[in-house]
Amino acid sequence: MKRTRVIAALVATAVTVGGLTACSADSSGGDGKDGPVTITLMETKQIGIDSAKKQIPGFEAEMKKQGRDITVKLIGDVLTDPQFVTKITQQYIAGEAPDVADLGDSMVPGFAGAGYLAPIDDYLADWDGWDHYFPQFKEAMVRQDGKIYALVHDTGVQNFFYRKDLLTEYGVDTTQPATWDDMIARLEEIKAKNGDLPPIVIPAGTAWGGGTWNEGFQPILAGADQDYYSLETGKWDLESKGWLPTFNLYSDLVTKDLLPVQDLENPNPWEPTKYDKFPAGELQVAAQGTWGWKFDWGPDGATPIPDLETKLDTWQYPAMEAGGETYGWSGLGSSYGISENSENKEAAMLLAQYLSSGQPVADQLVASGAAPVRDDIADIKPFADEPKLVQAGKDLQTSLYVPTGDGSEQVAQAVANATEMILQGKANGQQAYDAFVEDATDLLGPSLVK
Amino acid sequence: MTSITGSPTRAAAAPQPAPPGRRRPKRTWPFVLLLLGPGAVLIVVFIVVPALYGAYLSFTNTQLTGFAARDPKFVGIDNYTYLLTSADFLASLGQTGQFVLFSAIIGQTVLGMVAAILLSRPWVRGKGLWGAAVLMPMIVPEVVASLTWASVLSNNSEGTLNRLTGLFGADPTSWLQVVPMVSIIIVNIWRGVAFAMIMFQAALEDVPADLIEAARIDGASAIQIFRHITLPLIRGPVFLYLLLTTISTVGVFGLVYFLTQGGPGGATRLAAIYIYERALQFAQIGIGSAASMILLVLVLILGLVYVRLSKVEV
Repeated sequence: MKRTRVIAALVATAVTVGGLTACSADSSGGDGKDGPVTITLMETKQIGIDSAKKQIPGFEAEMKKQGRDITVKLIGDVLTDPQFVTKITQQYIAGEAPDVADLGDSMVPGFAGAGYLAPIDDYLADWDGWDHYFPQFKEAMVRQDGKIYALVHDTGVQNFFYRKDLLTEYGVDTTQPATWDDMIARLEEIKAKNGDLPPIVIPAGTAWGGGTWNEGFQPILAGADQDYYSLETGKWDLESKGWLPTFNLYSDLVTKDLLPVQDLENPNPWEPTKYDKFPAGELQVAAQGTWGWKFDWGPDGATPIPDLETKLDTWQYPAMEAGGETYGWSGLGSSYGISENSENKEAAMLLAQYLSSGQPVADQLVASGAAPVRDDIADIKPFADEPKLVQAGKDLQTSLYVPTGDGSEQVAQAVANATEMILQGKANGQQAYDAFVEDATDLLGPSLVK
Repeated sequence: MTSITGSPTRAAAAPQPAPPGRRRPKRTWPFVLLLLGPGAVLIVVFIVVPALYGAYLSFTNTQLTGFAARDPKFVGIDNYTYLLTSADFLASLGQTGQFVLFSAIIGQTVLGMVAAILLSRPWVRGKGLWGAAVLMPMIVPEVVASLTWASVLSNNSEGTLNRLTGLFGADPTSWLQVVPMVSIIIVNIWRGVAFAMIMFQAALEDVPADLIEAARIDGASAIQIFRHITLPLIRGPVFLYLLLTTISTVGVFGLVYFLTQGGPGGATRLAAIYIYERALQFAQIGIGSAASMILLVLVLILGLVYVRLSKVEV
């Protein structure tokens, strides 16, 4: 009996001491100064995984110099964006998400709104790197509740990539088209020279998923109208002036057989278009972000185009009407979000800051073909040796961007459905717009529509 | 043979009531609990509770992302009203009905029956080989089956089907875009015919050979024998198969999603794909749950119809 009591007392003491030790470790704030801390980083693109593998030892060494014992566990899982969203949403809900996740621009509003991401304003206020961020990005990162939830580390400028080699061979003018009328005339000329095949790919329809809105429709819409969403009210204006002309433009492109409708109906429409026909020269123009230089068509990209810098060049988006300005479109790119449930937010933020600064970010930008969102990267090699990317960084200053918030997934769905109707020949521009308004109103609900 | 028909023979074989004064049930209940308990707990935890939670969610505007996710509200039957007036949802139900009718009820059942009858004939040689060939699609994992058909129906000239049609001078066709519904129906027939064959083979073995022989002596043709003797005798298993295949085909997701993702233009957006899109891609879990409930009710109604039909005495 006595022995049992002694054992019980020892166990109780061990549990109490263990518990207090654990509490003590937790109460250190998870910055690695008062004991070892392990944080997790999730990357879902092979380039991001490779890059993180390369940068993590540097981060851990840097932290050691600062007297912090932080270990980073990389969760590398190659996924498409919809697969990633489905997976990480479940992880956020279950409280099992990685401490840091590399998120796409379109994912942040939804996750931030739902409370899955921790606000990072206080950390940014104490970070000297924040002073180097371009003001328009600082502003665009603020969500509708006035807080910042994710740290952008790269971006790109969306333009039209065209096959300079082929257009020159066809004798087609390669100067910047001023308006969409000019662009369409140019495309018809290319089509006539290329066996009457559709010459341009712009994401459209349901198969392209969120890309139809983010990479296809929205960049065109923004050229005609930047008031379709208000960050102040958090509402979408479905009667804003740019919607109808943009649907009409899609309709024109389809009725004139300038868009590869059948390829756009493929379950993975980017494969026959951007990865097969554009590199093969069967499509000559593609709406594409800066990452086209590396991620899609670079020497280590998805489908390399040899000598791409001599074969390709870019046009900005033409103006919707005569007298308008041409423009590039920029998004917020990729950003690091920190889970609200992370027990080591400070260490997680240190990792996000490290990966978004100096040499680490310069290396990543070159690997993925992106532009920096801060002013102190342009001179760092190997980024400094990439003229196309450096130029993209400069173009960012003048590019358009309309930050949006809650409801962007629903608007993306409604746009995909409406452009799908155009692709299938079931609607003209006006009919597609009417269907869009009905669909979006329904999906957004009264609180998100102006 | 498995049957859900309540036959007189079975009634006669039912256990007799225990003699008065004996407390047999009290002595056997721990054993019964031991046998049924784990299964019952699993069913409650993984089926009943999630189904009840799904039913609850279907009356709320719960979202997985966005500010609305922080404060879900009870919305009554709004989700159901929305779905039952939504052209997209109704279209997905229609496509599901088409898919179930042509691939499961007609395709798998007819071909499964034909395969079972042929393999039961004594004159057929190489039964093992034929049986294995029919079984193979059921054995391979779903993703392998999908990849196989993606290759067969590929839109370029390297696709197997395009190679075959190319022998006759035809241009390559994007089968999954030109005839998407027909394509997925064929794929699902191919995948499910083995299960039908196994069930019907087992049922056919229970048909008394002397009955068939007697009919043959009386001059009945093979079709008459099948129509008036074999089919009525295996009615129970046939309806059981129809019930099972309907339930499983309504829930088909991976095979179709891998091949078409519901496209082109929603032409193959079956109800399961619609629910996935709503609940997980667009994070509207309330609407997705309501759609699941509607589908559940439809399947239950179909199930009741099958059970009712299978109880008709032969």
